[in-house]
Amino acid sequence: MVHACPKRRGGVIIAAGALLLTGCASAHEPEVRQVAVTFEDPSGDPEERCGLLAPATLVAFEHSESAPCADAVQDLPLDGGDVESVEIWGGDAQVKVAGDTVFLTETDAGWRITSAVCSPRAEAPYACEVDGP
Amino acid sequence: MRIEEEEEYGFLRANALGLAFGGLFLVTLLGQGISGTADFNAQQVANGLEPVSFAQYLTSSSFGVDVMENWQSEYLQFFLYIFATVWLVQRGSSESKEPGAEGTESDEAQKLGRHADGDSPAWARAGGWRTAVFSRSLGLLMGGLFLLTWAASSLAGWAAFNSEQLGQRQDPVSWVGYLGEAEFWNRSFQNWQSEMLAVGSMAIFSVYLRQRGSPESKPVGAAHRDTAQTG
Repeated sequence: MVHACPKRRGGVIIAAGALLLTGCASAHEPEVRQVAVTFEDPSGDPEERCGLLAPATLVAFEHSESAPCADAVQDLPLDGGDVESVEIWGGDAQVKVAGDTVFLTETDAGWRITSAVCSPRAEAPYACEVDGP
Repeated sequence: MRIEEEEEYGFLRANALGLAFGGLFLVTLLGQGISGTADFNAQQVANGLEPVSFAQYLTSSSFGVDVMENWQSEYLQFFLYIFATVWLVQRGSSESKEPGAEGTESDEAQKLGRHADGDSPAWARAGGWRTAVFSRSLGLLMGGLFLLTWAASSLAGWAAFNSEQLGQRQDPVSWVGYLGEAEFWNRSFQNWQSEMLAVGSMAIFSVYLRQRGSPESKPVGAAHRDTAQTG
């Protein structure tokens, strides 16, 4: 999904289209980056970190941990660290930090985390300890 | 029909075919937008994500690629048909020239240069590059629109593909990488094959079947072997 930036339907050329796509992504990058960094910071406020999870992910996480998010989030193996890359495509985003990969979705309340503590698995999807449905 | 009668025909009736299909295009595009929004949101809800508004969907890469992949195949169809019918014939088809008339034909037959009529387009009479370009302008436009819409299809498809990749916890790919993805070629070929089928079957069906009053058909009483007649 490309929400805020309408795609031209006629006369589009590759260069213009690529600029349009990257322009859309860059407008959202600061918020996406901030949400990921805040969640990944192990010294952050647990309630604030849990508030950054997408609703379905929050439910799934608390169910899998059999504990309130604010308690369980502190046990996640996260070290924080610098952002290495940000990819935003429509209403989906991916942030790679030093020791983790985080996936986000755009909601009415802003960007929220759908998956975290993710490890790559060759051609298969990332395996994520915090994950939605 | 004499020119005097055409001028009394009125704008709407004189342009009824273009206006009707222009209107149908807008109505069906709206229908695609409405049904596409519902389909997209059903998938969003199933994935535990928030639904999007109609306006958000219309500006999405998902809608963009669904529109562009169909447009590009239509323009490819017309581009190929326009050029193929210069050189290839189908005996008995209203869509074909007479056998023996293959090729670009003489200047006299095409009313070029000194053979132009008084009301021929200026570039048909001009000679040189103007006539060369104008002589191929229909095919060039169709071919150009095909390339543009195919490029747009690849860009919108790339964005939609990467959005899906992220939604499935997978890494995005580059544009060149997307051009090597099976999805891009599957989208292209599934549209192309249907256009080739439609054009080929129309060329054959018009040999044996009739639609009274349609210029896409031969006159009802025309023989099956009669080629290039329209009724």
